[in-house]
Amino acid sequence: MQELEIAKTEVVSLLNTLIRKYKVFAPVEQNGFITFQEIHSGSEAFLDYINSKKPPKEIFFPQSERLFSYNLSKGAGWGVEEPTLEEKQKIIFGIRPCDARSLVLLDNVFDGKLYKDPYYTDKRKNTTIIAIGCNQPGSTCFCTSLGGSPFSQDGSDLLLVDIGQKYIIQVVTKRGEKLAKEHNDVKKAEEHSLSLMRDTMETAEALIKSKIEVQKVTEKLDSMFDDPFWDLVSEKCLGCAICTYLCPTCYCFDITDEVTGQRGERVRTWDSCAFPNFTLQASGVNPRPSSKERLRQRIMHKFNYFVANHGMAACVGCGRCIKECPVNLDIQVILNSILNR
Amino acid sequence: MLNTSVAIRDIAKKLLDEKKVDLIIGFEKGSVPLRSTPCFVRSTSEADRLIWNVNCENNLAKYLPKTKERVGIVAKGCDVRSIIGLIKENQVTKEQVFIIGIPCKGMIDRRKIEAKLDGKEIIEAEEEDDTIILKGHNLRETIKKEEFLHNSCKTCTHRNPVIYDVLIGDKVVEDQAVDEYREVKEFEAQSHDERWQSFSDEVSKCIRCYACRNACPFCYCQECFVDSSQPQWIGKTTNLSNTAIFHIVRAFHIAGRCVDCGACDRACPMGIDLRRLTKKMEMDVKELFHYEAGINLEDVPPLATFNPDDPQEFIM
Amino acid sequence: MKNPYLPLPMRVEKIVIETEDKNIKTFSVKFLNDEDEANFNYLPGQFAQLSVLGEGEAPFGIASSPTQPGELQFTVNKAGVLTTALHNLEEGEIIGVRGPLGNCFPLEAFESKDTIIIGGGFAFTTLRSLINYILHQENRSRFGNVVVIYGARSPGLLLYKDELEKWEVRTDLDLHLTVDRADKDWQRKVGVVPNIVKEIAPSPENAYAVVCGPPLMIKFTLPVLRDLDFPPERIVLSLEMKMKCGIGMCGRCNIGNQYVCKDGPIFTLAHLNELPSEY
Repeated sequence: MQELEIAKTEVVSLLNTLIRKYKVFAPVEQNGFITFQEIHSGSEAFLDYINSKKPPKEIFFPQSERLFSYNLSKGAGWGVEEPTLEEKQKIIFGIRPCDARSLVLLDNVFDGKLYKDPYYTDKRKNTTIIAIGCNQPGSTCFCTSLGGSPFSQDGSDLLLVDIGQKYIIQVVTKRGEKLAKEHNDVKKAEEHSLSLMRDTMETAEALIKSKIEVQKVTEKLDSMFDDPFWDLVSEKCLGCAICTYLCPTCYCFDITDEVTGQRGERVRTWDSCAFPNFTLQASGVNPRPSSKERLRQRIMHKFNYFVANHGMAACVGCGRCIKECPVNLDIQVILNSILNR
Repeated sequence: MLNTSVAIRDIAKKLLDEKKVDLIIGFEKGSVPLRSTPCFVRSTSEADRLIWNVNCENNLAKYLPKTKERVGIVAKGCDVRSIIGLIKENQVTKEQVFIIGIPCKGMIDRRKIEAKLDGKEIIEAEEEDDTIILKGHNLRETIKKEEFLHNSCKTCTHRNPVIYDVLIGDKVVEDQAVDEYREVKEFEAQSHDERWQSFSDEVSKCIRCYACRNACPFCYCQECFVDSSQPQWIGKTTNLSNTAIFHIVRAFHIAGRCVDCGACDRACPMGIDLRRLTKKMEMDVKELFHYEAGINLEDVPPLATFNPDDPQEFIM
Repeated sequence: MKNPYLPLPMRVEKIVIETEDKNIKTFSVKFLNDEDEANFNYLPGQFAQLSVLGEGEAPFGIASSPTQPGELQFTVNKAGVLTTALHNLEEGEIIGVRGPLGNCFPLEAFESKDTIIIGGGFAFTTLRSLINYILHQENRSRFGNVVVIYGARSPGLLLYKDELEKWEVRTDLDLHLTVDRADKDWQRKVGVVPNIVKEIAPSPENAYAVVCGPPLMIKFTLPVLRDLDFPPERIVLSLEMKMKCGIGMCGRCNIGNQYVCKDGPIFTLAHLNELPSEY
């Protein structure tokens, strides 16, 4: 692995250079919280943050996305138009390692063996991911329990480590290497910088107190489908979509047609298994009629079914669901309760 | 706060022991600092989980509609008014509910505290009488509770439960002088374009998670209008048109019923000022119908009734 | 790359009202583009997503058999938004089709075995595809005896009545029709499908049972088959779930770690027994 470095004072100018050639997304401060937006100047990037409110999955899998449009006027014929795909190369700068890992996880779904989702894969193909590791993991973070870490390289092309005056740039992929080498401000990392980097990484990892044996949870869940546990744990759930919409690895969606006048679109919108009518059939039958079945589905999907299909839990331990749940339904508490059953 | 917690546990154990209720709904310690979480207790051995503190911000009346059980419910001033509304709307009967009333001086808005700490995270929070001590990495700060209350608590005029089966603690002084509609009037005074821009900016943050709707005790419809497909009233996308209609229609649906408990506002992850519309509805209902929701069990909700000698014709 | 969300245009050539309550219609549709038709290779059991632009999309089992080239047939029960929109169409209008999706009946496993085909109500659509496929002269000799037990609530609610009459007189299949409640003209069996299966008591030896029907019918037919000693590996079911994408991505139709649209809709009972009972 190659290590390069850049002075923090040069980052704004680096971003400005990148903006000339690429569409650059970075964390910005808006309405009192952090969100990933396209920036038009390097100074807009706000890098002193724990994590964004909404996960950057929305850059590849937007909350509302037009699949195609059509003309309904008589004589228009079939007239289905696919949207033109974005040509310009993209960079996501300043994403956290957990969110970068989540993209690898989502690839399993949208870039499958049998079917590929072009809306997602096209965006993924032309995007370079530059992550910044977490010197100060959040209080609700538990990435290390899910095979991640504050400095995991999974899903990144370049991983930056903040060592005070500089960032060390860990080169992860050839794509990242090419990008890094294009810039004069990026130099080879000095040895003392590297030792500082190693200390920083060690300190940060030790700050994550939560250690949940997720593999054991997966095994336990094999025989827990009919356990009365689910009645108890789901009673306070409101059935809103906060945990699913703010989760970097949730991907359920709905497809509907929206028409205005004679023009219509088929759109894909985020949906949630927590909603009561997610599985409601036209006949009135609903296989998941109460919050018990729906919470069970969420947990079993993330920690058992997804593991069976893709070899990893559908969770990166970012902790957003814990932070934002209006009734403090804490996924770590649920996982520990499962282990103690 | 410790006394209140103990008192709640005692009454819970008594009610369960004497089989006066099937279930106690209260709060227990949250899993992270500055949080408490709803707690469902069905046996005396579990009753020691119950606590009371300045983080008990949820409206537990949410869990009452359609319940078949007899419930002992821990309720602050605003929650009790919700319970009255639900009884009037036949979602639960008075006989089913044993109200454990708690006079309330307000709940803490943890998001205001987070904003003040500018990104520094809290590892531990200790509640004292009037203050909270916040501890974290390179962080130790004492804050005054009254400076970080939820907005709905700051303008609350019914801190004491208007009805109850048992009252825990002494009644607190009601703030008679507060102008609870000051912000609404300031908003009304703006021009049409200013108001539309301000409103659009707010609801553009919405991610349609429906936490506001789901946290509200009065949103108990079997099928919410947003989920109807035949006919489909609003689209699923987050464009301004769809999102604005959701919020406007929901505000109208709870007009005359909303007690400004703030549950919607507190649930919203995107910090949308949801009370802007609902508070205006509340003010209008007061002015037009001289009615305040949830004050007693006798007053008839004006938007749910019809009299032959009403000043206007039916619906129009 | 082929966009799996894009429907292909098909013209509605013929609409047949199947049932006396007019709630079920069969649509015969033909691709506008020959290339699309050449690429649409399906087998009995598979389904397709039908679109009415402006209204939406929904999954329907393919009722025609690949042995009947040139057109596809779908039988639609009017229940929700999209099915109502389909029912309001006239011949000549254009709809969209995405498919073929899902897996098919395990035809290779059925070969040189007997197939006991049990259907109820309007779930008979893909069974009809299977029967026509097996009966076709190019295929028939590879399969053993074919027993079909098909029932509906009343005679007017039976589908494909013309075809049923033709099948009744064939010697290469054994057709048993039944209704829950007869009318004055009904001459054949009367009784719910599970009871008729019990009465006919097909032998499980070297045989597969294929069951498609409303949940209640399946619930009561499975014990009958179990009592007849059909092993779960040789009982085949077609599941229905709410679907949207049809390609295993939107997460709606999952049962455990399986997606009904991608890993199904055809499952053996043995396979279903391993999955959570959530359907």
